[in-house]
Parts: sequence; C-alpha cells; structure tokens
Amino acid sequence: MIGIIGSGNIGANTAFFLAEKGVDDVMLYDVQEGLAKGKALDMMEAAPIRGYRTRISGTDTQEDVLGCDIIILTAGAFRAPGMKREELFEANKKIIKNYASKITNPDTKVIIVPEPMDSLTTLFARISSLPSVQVMGLGGVLDATRLRFFISKSLSVAMENVSAQVIGRHADDMIPVKNYCSVSGISLDNFFSEEEVEELFKQTREAGNLIVELAGRASAYYGPSAVIAELAEAITMDTGRVLSVSHLLKGEFGINDIALSLPCVIGKKGISKVFEPKLSGQEISVLKKSADLIQKTIKEAD
Amino acid sequence: MHKVSIIGSGHVGATAVYYIAEKNLADIVMVDVVEGLPQAKALDYLHAAPMRKYSVHISGTNDYKDIKDSDVVVITAGIPRKPGMDRMDLMKINVDIAKTASQAIAEYAPNAIVIVVSNPLDIIAMVTLQESGFALRKVFGMAGVLDSTRFRYFIADELGVWPGDVTAMVLGGHGDSMVPLSRYTRVNGIPASELLSEKTLERLINRTRTGGGEIVSLLKHGSAFYAPGASVAKMVETIVKDEKRVIPVSAYLRGEYGFNDIFLGVPVLLGKNGIEKIIELDLEPEEKKALELSAKAVEEGVETLKTFYRPGVSA
Repeated sequence: MIGIIGSGNIGANTAFFLAEKGVDDVMLYDVQEGLAKGKALDMMEAAPIRGYRTRISGTDTQEDVLGCDIIILTAGAFRAPGMKREELFEANKKIIKNYASKITNPDTKVIIVPEPMDSLTTLFARISSLPSVQVMGLGGVLDATRLRFFISKSLSVAMENVSAQVIGRHADDMIPVKNYCSVSGISLDNFFSEEEVEELFKQTREAGNLIVELAGRASAYYGPSAVIAELAEAITMDTGRVLSVSHLLKGEFGINDIALSLPCVIGKKGISKVFEPKLSGQEISVLKKSADLIQKTIKEAD
Repeated sequence: MHKVSIIGSGHVGATAVYYIAEKNLADIVMVDVVEGLPQAKALDYLHAAPMRKYSVHISGTNDYKDIKDSDVVVITAGIPRKPGMDRMDLMKINVDIAKTASQAIAEYAPNAIVIVVSNPLDIIAMVTLQESGFALRKVFGMAGVLDSTRFRYFIADELGVWPGDVTAMVLGGHGDSMVPLSRYTRVNGIPASELLSEKTLERLINRTRTGGGEIVSLLKHGSAFYAPGASVAKMVETIVKDEKRVIPVSAYLRGEYGFNDIFLGVPVLLGKNGIEKIIELDLEPEEKKALELSAKAVEEGVETLKTFYRPGVSA
C-alpha cells in the first residue's frame, strides 16, 4: 500500500498516475476533511473506463497511512509567484517534524516533496528512526526530467532517447551534469554549442519558477507527480532504476548529514547504491555551498 | 490506422506481429509462401484478441497483392543456414527471396518504408534497395537495435539496474565484426566506463558480439526471435508514430563515415519518412579502425553478391 499525505494537486495526481500504471493500491489522506475521500472516489469512478485495478481509497485519519510500505509526503505550503523555495521552511518544518517522529514502521520508504525539499529531507532524515536510504527527496530526477524535455524539444527527437542527470540542490544552484546528458548515448557536444547547452541548463534551473509565474496560484504538479509515481514504481517493483534523488550524504564530496541529490539505484529497500559522479572542482564547490545553505536554513530555524 | 506487412511468418516475423498487435500500432498482413501458415498464425492471434484486447486487424496471405498500400513492409523471409551448407548457396537463396519480395513491394506498396531483417542483412538490404528502386531513406536493415538491446541487457544485468535505463550504440555490420561503442554506452546518462572496469566492459562487448550465437547454441535448432521481433516492432513503432528516435540501423552510405555504396550500421534519426538523417559521430582512431574492418567484411559480401547477381536480372 502506498500512502499519500496531502491530497492537493501533487498528491492526487500522483495517486492518479499510480493507478494508471497499476503500481499498487493507494491511500490518500488530507487534513481537510472529505477531500481525500472525495478525490479517491472520483478516481475509482473512472476505473471502469480506464481499466485500472488498483484501489484508491481516501481517509481523514492520519493513522491509516502511517504504516504504509511507501509514504509520499506532499502536505505543506506552496510557493506564490516571486517566492523563493527556502522561504517555505518555517511553514513546512512543523509538518516534517511531526511525520518524522510518527512514521516508525522500519520498512517504510518515505518520499519528501514539499519545499525547500533538500532542507526538509535533511530535517526528516535526521529526526527519523528509519535508515537514511529509506528517506528520499524529490529533486534531481525532476530537474533531469525537465532538462530531458528541453533537449528533446529543441532537437525534435524522441524524449525517451534523451537521458540526463541533475544533481545537488533542488534550487537555482542545481548542477546539470553535462557529461551525463546524452541523446541515445551521444554527447550533447554533437548537437549543441556550449552557449546552447548553457541556455538549456538555465531553462532547467528556472523551469519550476516559470510554472509558478504562469499558473499564478499553483506550483508545478504534473511533472512532479509523474516523477513521484516513477520513483514509487521503482521501489515497489524493485526495478533498480538509476534516478537522482535527495538523501543524506555520508561523506561524498566531503559532505556529511546533509541531503542533496546524487544518482542512486532505486529498489525495494530504497536507495541500494549511490553513484558518485565525476565532478569538476567548480561543481564540487557549488555542491559544498549548497550544503552550507541547507545547514544554515536548518540552524536559523532552530 | 497504419498498415504493416510482414513478409515471412517464421518465428521472427510472427513474434514481431505479436509486439505490434499488443501495442495496437497498425493493422498487420502476414505473408508467407507456405500455404496456410500465415493464415493460421493470423487467426491464432485473432483468437487471443478478446483477452489481450488489441483492436488491430491481422490477416494472413500467400498473395503479395494483399500488402497493397502498406505504410511499412518488413522482410523477414529467408532460410537459415543448414549444417554443411555453403555461405554462398545460402546467400543465393535468400537474395532470390528478397528479390521477389522487393519487386512485389515496388508494385503493390510503392510508398512503403522497408525494413530488412533477413540475413546476410547488409547484403539483402542492398538487393532490396536495388530491386525496389526506392529512395535510400526508405530502405534499411534491422541490426543495431538488436545488437544494442543485447548489449544494454548485459550491462544492466552486470550492474543490477533497470535495463530501460541503459543506452548503447552498436555500429557496423551485423555479424562478428559489429562495433559496440562503449563510449556511447550510458546508464541513465552516466557513462558505463565510470561504473564498470575496462575488463568487464570488454567481456560484455564480446558477449554482445556472440549474442546471437549464444542463443543458437542453447536452442540447438533455430535462432533468436524474441529480441529480434521486439527490435522490429520498435522500429515499426518509431516510424508509424513518427517518434524521431536516434537509433542505429543498417543504412546505405554515400560518403558518411568515409564509406560508399554499402549498407552499414550507423546512428540515424528515424521517423515517418524513414531515415530522416544519418548522424555522424566523431569516432576515435580505434573505433574508426573497427568500423573500417566491419565495412570491409560487408564489402567482401558485396563482391560475393556481384559474382552472381545483377539488379533486375533473375538468377
């Protein structure tokens, strides 16, 4: 059973994608009474047409989701136009702290979604009794998905042929790793000038902000939900997908006890392996700065 | 709905039909010279339709007329080499089959894109191109997709990662001289060379080279057909959905990579018009040398072909 905490746009769309993929049964929860039940019912009423067999249910009782195999934490405040992700820390840390102490099933894998994601993932993983390989933040893989879209659009090639890795913090200082971006294995240099690559990276850094600006009242949710569903599928089916997720680093690049995205092998136990990418000195210093920023955010709030 | 005709209803042809039907890609016509065989297999597939819920139509025929106006035609017909059979004799028989098929395609499906699967692949593709008189971009062979998918699987298996996350590029002729490019092999973007030792990669490359043979020696009678069928279906899907994938196919070269007038596996952009672009990679000297060796093997095959074959003249 996959539990989703928060039944807003991201939570509900994740349930929807999970149902369409037939990954596992889903339990939606929300503090707003009736919301989770209503959306779950709406989705089940579409099942005869869409043909999915997964059961989506809704609950108003928090305890119902706390023991799930996978818990996707989407509850929290979201950004208004012009707002930085970091500004949400104060508002969202209470929710994180609450669940970090309440989710105690030792086999549960947790996916953290609210912003500032890396700071909240750090906070959660530090408090939680779960092994840190079971606490994953939605970061690099979402940024990489957006970058893949931009690359495939600009070349008019199939999106599936484009692979990319984005690591570091899910913020303006994210690090798209150029050597890890390719079209059917072929390096970007074959298709783009250096300036064009920079432009694609810039678009990726601003992608989340652009959606907030355009939508006005909501942040992105289709992209994030699709990626969360992919992650949950990789865990449930134990596929061994190589996805960049935020998790507590254990000495990689000299960073300790701070969550940042690095490429990981994802399976039934959460993160089964971390690939330490080959980075330039400049990229490593960006990574370290990101880690310092997260540490500062958490400390200031204490 | 698109129309795809599969010439040859053996294991590869019939398995390709399976994958195409399951994905609802196109109506399918199965063609074979053996009376009753394509009709039987088509009917068998239709019997499964209520359960599998595909909505494409599948029919079987012994008459080339039924491929009329196909969007894509796949040539899988040919005989496998029997013990003691001379390579030359085999080539003669399969060239003859391809000739008949190509002339029929030109007559009944003049706008089709033709995917050649029969072996020796790079030679049969040449015959198909000449006999059909089709544009270069519309006739190509399936090899690199199959060789790449085998290489991808071996790498995923070695690393314990999802095979779908591995990309690979295998160029050159479809045979022992194929050129798996480890430099273009990645695990969701990460170069495989950063995750596997050179020695391990070399072992996986060798296994890829002999991947077809490994299956043959296990089966004892017959050769691989699931992965080949899936590779054909992937190419068909790319074309009918105009997906514009960058994949290796055996394409007729006119100067690309420094080769002329042979079919050789190279990366192309594939879409509804067939080969929309041949992509030229910057190869390192060693890779270039391997590709040259591969091209030489194909050229030798073409020389053999010329000893008994002239376009448009029956053997």
